Amino acid sequence: MLRADGLSLRFGGLQVLDDLSLTVGEGRIVGLIGPNGAGKTSCFNCLTGIYQPQAGRVSFDGRDVSRLPTHRRAAAGMARTWQNLGVIDSLTVTENVMLAQHQRTGYSAVAGLLGLGGTWLRERELRRDAAEIIDYFGLGEVAGVRASELPYGVRKTCDMAMALASDPKMLLLDEPASGLSPEEAHDLAGTLRELRDRLRLTILMIEHHVPLVAEVCDYVYVLNFGRLLTEGRPAEIQRHPEVIAAYLGGAAATAEGGEDGTA
Amino acid sequence: MSATTLVLTRVRVRTHLGLVVRVALILAALALVALPLVFGGDVWAQRVSRAAIYAVIGLSINTLTGHAGQISLGHQAFVGIGAFSSAFMASRLGAPFGFGLAGAALAGTVTALIVGMVALRVKGLYLALVTLAFGLTAETTIFNWREFTGGGAGAFAPRSALVESDLAYALLCLAVLVVVLYTDWRLVSTKAGRALTAVRNDERIASTLGVDVTGYKLGAFCFSGLVAGLAGGLFAHWNQVVQALDFEFQVALLWVLMAVVGGLRSRLGIVIASSFFALLPLVLPNFLAGLPWQPPFLNEAVYHVLPPFLVVLMLLVVLRFFPGGIGQLLAPVTRFVKGAKR
Repeated sequence: MLRADGLSLRFGGLQVLDDLSLTVGEGRIVGLIGPNGAGKTSCFNCLTGIYQPQAGRVSFDGRDVSRLPTHRRAAAGMARTWQNLGVIDSLTVTENVMLAQHQRTGYSAVAGLLGLGGTWLRERELRRDAAEIIDYFGLGEVAGVRASELPYGVRKTCDMAMALASDPKMLLLDEPASGLSPEEAHDLAGTLRELRDRLRLTILMIEHHVPLVAEVCDYVYVLNFGRLLTEGRPAEIQRHPEVIAAYLGGAAATAEGGEDGTA
Repeated sequence: MSATTLVLTRVRVRTHLGLVVRVALILAALALVALPLVFGGDVWAQRVSRAAIYAVIGLSINTLTGHAGQISLGHQAFVGIGAFSSAFMASRLGAPFGFGLAGAALAGTVTALIVGMVALRVKGLYLALVTLAFGLTAETTIFNWREFTGGGAGAFAPRSALVESDLAYALLCLAVLVVVLYTDWRLVSTKAGRALTAVRNDERIASTLGVDVTGYKLGAFCFSGLVAGLAGGLFAHWNQVVQALDFEFQVALLWVLMAVVGGLRSRLGIVIASSFFALLPLVLPNFLAGLPWQPPFLNEAVYHVLPPFLVVLMLLVVLRFFPGGIGQLLAPVTRFVKGAKR
C-alpha cells in the first residue's frame, strides 16, 4: 500500500532521516516507534508531502507520489492525525468533520459560491454523513460545540473522526494513544482493529504506548537517530537488545540528539 | 391534563410572538434602508448608492482578510483599476454599461490574480508591505496613464439610460450588494468557506485534509479582486467622473478599517460599518454646521476633519472593547432573528 525507499531528510547540518525505507502492506497495522527525536514525525511529514526529502521515493497505492503536493496525496487516500491535533479550533465538531470531507464534496468551489442547485443537496448529504461519523465516535453530544471549548481527549477523538471522514485508504496516526488512560488505549486498540476489518483500512501509527503497539500492530519499525534500528513482529521487538538499549540505556544520547523532527 | 394543554399553548403563543418580533425586526431594518430612498430624493439616493458601494468593497476585503486571512493594503488599486476600466469602456469604446461593469470585474480579477501570485510567497507583515507597494505603484503608474485615465481631469463614465436617474442607480447598487451578500453567505456555508477557515488557521492541516492551499489563496484573491473591480465600476458611474485622486492610499486604509470595525466575517456588521464610513464625511459636517448653537473656535473646516478622527477613535474602541467589531455587538440580535436556541 505504502512504500518508502531510501528517504533522507536534512535540516541544515542535522540529519533527520537517513536512508529510511519501510513498507506497509494493504490491510496491515504497522507501528513506528523510537525514542524522542528519532525522526518519526518527520517521517510522517515526508510520507504526506509536507516535507520534501532530499533523497528517496514514496509510492502509495501502486503509484509514485514522491513529487505530489500534500493535498494530492490526501486525495489519493492518505489521511493523517497530528500529535498536536489537526482540528480547527474556530469550527464546531460537525464543521470540522465536514471540512475533512472536502475532497468528496463532489461539487466545485465556484458552484458552491454561486449556490447552484446540486450544492444544497450535497451539503445536506455531507451533513448527514458527518453526523453518522460523529455518532460512531460518540461525539453526538458535542457536535455543535466549537473545538476550542472541548477537552483534549474529545478533540483527539474529533481528529480521528476527521481522518476517517476524508474516506481514506490509509490512516497515518501520530501518537493516537497519547493522553489516554490505559482503558481508553485498550478501547482504541479495538477501534483500530474494527476500522481495519470493516473499512479495510491500512494503518501506520507512531506510538509510545507499548501495550497498544504489542496488541494491535502486525509489524513494527524502530527508528533511532533517523535510521532504522530494527524491524519485526512486536514480540520480537520487545526482546531486541538494541531497542531496549535505545529506550532505556540511551536516555543521555536522546537528550543530546535534541528536539528535531518531532514538532 | 389541563395543565399540560396550558403549557403547550403558552409555548406555542411564545414562539408565535417570537416569530412576529423577528419578522418585524427584519422589516424594520429593510424600512430603514428604504426610507431615505423613498423620501430623501436624489441627494439621499446618491448617498445610499455610495453606502452600498462601500459595503461591496467591505465584503471584498472580508473575503480576503476575513475568510482567507490575507491582508491587503492595496485594495484601492483593485477598485481603481475597475473604475477606470469601466469608464474607459463606456466613454472611449462606447461599450454598453453592462459590458463596462463586466470589464471592471475582469480587470479587478486579473490584477488581484497577479498580486496573489506574488503574495503566495510572503506572509503577514511582508504581505502587507507587498500589497502596499503594489497599491502605491499602481497609483503612480496606471492611474497616471493619460490615455487610460484621462489625466488630471479624470475619465467620464456616463450611465446608461436605464439607470440614468439616481434612484435607479441606487437600486442597481443595492442589487449588486445583495448578490455579493448572497455569494458570501454561500461561501461560508459550503466547502470553500470551510477550506478557507482551515487555510487561515493552519495551512499544513488544511493540505493534509486535501485542501489545495495555493489554489484557495489565489481563488480568494481573485474573488476579492472581482468584487472590488465591480465596486470600482459602480463607483465610476456613481460619480460619472473618475479621478486618480479618488484612489489614494488613505481610502485603502479606510476600507480595511471599516472591515475591522464592522467585524471580519460578519456580513451585517460590515454592511453597517461600511455604510457608516461612507456617509459620515457627507452627513456629519453639514449637520454640525447646521446646528443653531456653534461652539467657539470651531468652524466648518474643523467639522470636515472630524470624520477621519472619529474613524480612528472607533477603531481604538473596537480593538480594545470588542475585537469582533459591530458584528460581535449584534451577535445576540442576529442569533435571535435566526431563531437559534441560546
